[in-house]
Amino acid sequence: MTPAVAGRAAGRTRRRRTVLRHAVLIGWGAIIMFPIYWMIQTSFKDSGEWVTWPPNWLPQDPTLKNYEQVFTFDVQAAGVAREATEQPFNIWGSLLDSVLICSISSLIALFMGTFLAYAISRFNVGGSTFRHMVLLVRMIPPIVIAIPLLMYYAIMVPFATETLLDTRISLFDTRTGVSALYTTVTLPFVIWMMLSFIEEVPYTLEHAARLMGAGRIYTLRKIVLPLVASGMVVTFLFVFILSWGEFLLALTLTHPDVSTLPVLLNKYQSASEGRLYGPQAAIGTVITVPVVIMGILIQKHLVKGFSFGMMRR
Amino acid sequence: MAGIVLKDLVKEFGSFAAVKGINLEIRDGEFLILVGPSGCGKTTTLNMISGLVEPTGGDVVIGDRVVTHTEAGERGLGMVFQDLALFPHMTVFDNIAFGLRVKHVDPGEIRRRVEEAAEAMHIAPLLDKRPGECSGGEAQRVALARTIVTNPSVYLMDEPLSSLDAKLRVDMRTELKHLHEQLGGTFVYVTHDQAEAMTMADRIAVMNDGRIEQVGEPLEIYRRPASHFVAGFFGIPTMNFLDGTVEAAAGAIEFRGTGLAVPLDASVDAGLAGRGAVLGVRSEHVLVVDADTEGATPATVSLIEPLGDTTLLFFDHGGARRMVAKVDPDLPVAAGDAIHVALDTANLHLFDAGDGARLN
Repeated sequence: MTPAVAGRAAGRTRRRRTVLRHAVLIGWGAIIMFPIYWMIQTSFKDSGEWVTWPPNWLPQDPTLKNYEQVFTFDVQAAGVAREATEQPFNIWGSLLDSVLICSISSLIALFMGTFLAYAISRFNVGGSTFRHMVLLVRMIPPIVIAIPLLMYYAIMVPFATETLLDTRISLFDTRTGVSALYTTVTLPFVIWMMLSFIEEVPYTLEHAARLMGAGRIYTLRKIVLPLVASGMVVTFLFVFILSWGEFLLALTLTHPDVSTLPVLLNKYQSASEGRLYGPQAAIGTVITVPVVIMGILIQKHLVKGFSFGMMRR
Repeated sequence: MAGIVLKDLVKEFGSFAAVKGINLEIRDGEFLILVGPSGCGKTTTLNMISGLVEPTGGDVVIGDRVVTHTEAGERGLGMVFQDLALFPHMTVFDNIAFGLRVKHVDPGEIRRRVEEAAEAMHIAPLLDKRPGECSGGEAQRVALARTIVTNPSVYLMDEPLSSLDAKLRVDMRTELKHLHEQLGGTFVYVTHDQAEAMTMADRIAVMNDGRIEQVGEPLEIYRRPASHFVAGFFGIPTMNFLDGTVEAAAGAIEFRGTGLAVPLDASVDAGLAGRGAVLGVRSEHVLVVDADTEGATPATVSLIEPLGDTTLLFFDHGGARRMVAKVDPDLPVAAGDAIHVALDTANLHLFDAGDGARLN
């Protein structure tokens, strides 16, 4: 074979591989995206269209009714449902609960976890196996701790505080209670992820700063944290999404004052109509959108953060 | 300006002793190079001077201050690291200014001094760049500028040239030596490269296995290595070593190895007769001679390496190890030729076969 022919053959093989790779990725993408597509188009369907068979791939008669119901139902004024597919809730209270609980718990977990990871990385806190044990807590299924936690939140804590402090403080059905729990549950992930980012920062950078007279905190602030900033953004997004979609613990430990979005989503069912797929799809879309927007906003960091291990030393 | 004294310095990591009791006086303004193979404790020693590693025992004195337990940042040192340790997220300017900012120097003064240091290291046009955008040589200069900007009295350097390519490394050697003359500070420099040590140092401290084997000026170390180890560490090609014994012969004393006997001079104690020894001779002191010359040993050329200004001639003489001679490049020999060699008896090194100590 002449080099030119060989080159053409190699080019063909390469092209064929590219086509195959793209076909696989497009297929996989379609499988991943289908539920999201279905959710979004259902959110624009009226009740008659929710469960038709054969399915309508697009709304025949697009409507904003589901969003209207979810966003504008006036809890105070109406009090009861106006029609069979309506429920006496709107999204605003839950949205506020979810945003507050998830941002605060994720921020606290990020802050604590970053410093803990630094301590584990640089001072070997907890011994050499501790870093591998951190994620063990995640091996406990949430259902196992849900009920015991309810006992503590609803009975033990109020009882203890009343006995000791003369005021009854309950964690049950409070934003503080859920936030504290989410902080605890996501902290291992933060430690685990931040550990891998911090380990990427060469010790000598800190040594250099130290020799120039910089203290530990100054070095952390000026050298270490800026270098792991992308990692912190990625970690924050990761644990935020974990909390944002958490259902079981929130369901067990709240009602009726606090309700996060996944819990609210589940409330949309009526005696006569069963599950209210339209409003549920609308809420599902509303829950998904902020996460996608956040992802787009921090795309630069995501790429940097997920390609860790490639940082130039 | 400050000299450094290390007193009985010991560092143990668990049960492993990295540095096993070092005594060393580094003179004020001196360029001292700590050299040795990897794992010999040279970097640990440097880090004990810098304060990054706390000694298990002994003292570090800088100037007239005992700083053994003083925080690294308060010792008034400048250090260049092996990987340079430039802050990748800061500009070159901010990198150089870091030490001054820590000390809360006035911003105008910082600008003036950073520019001055950049000027001195010929990196003024790079000030707005990131370290990642600099070439290896430029990054090297940035690291040096960052060190000199704070005017330390002692400069510590941990294999700073190891990341450069061979040509640049040789150029930087000259530049570092020049920098030392300009600044007049005390330089303590760690390397495993004997050529770097020979070319730059005022004095060299050779380390092996956590101890200092010899301290001396480069030529002194080359000409009179204090031990088998030092003799083998310095010089390219490596010194020829012959195993044998010291024997008394007809009122004189001689070294007898496989296939050759070499008369030893009066510097060797006659009482050593019978002792196992290693004879060292550098390649330039192995001479190709005529067959009738006194002490000539027959040998066979096995390999020839022409270097241009000189030629390395490897030969077998019947001993266990192949030997090498540095010869005139015009000498008409080829591999397989039979030749005669003799050793320059004025330049022999005799070491104890056991502990490697020098015997002559």
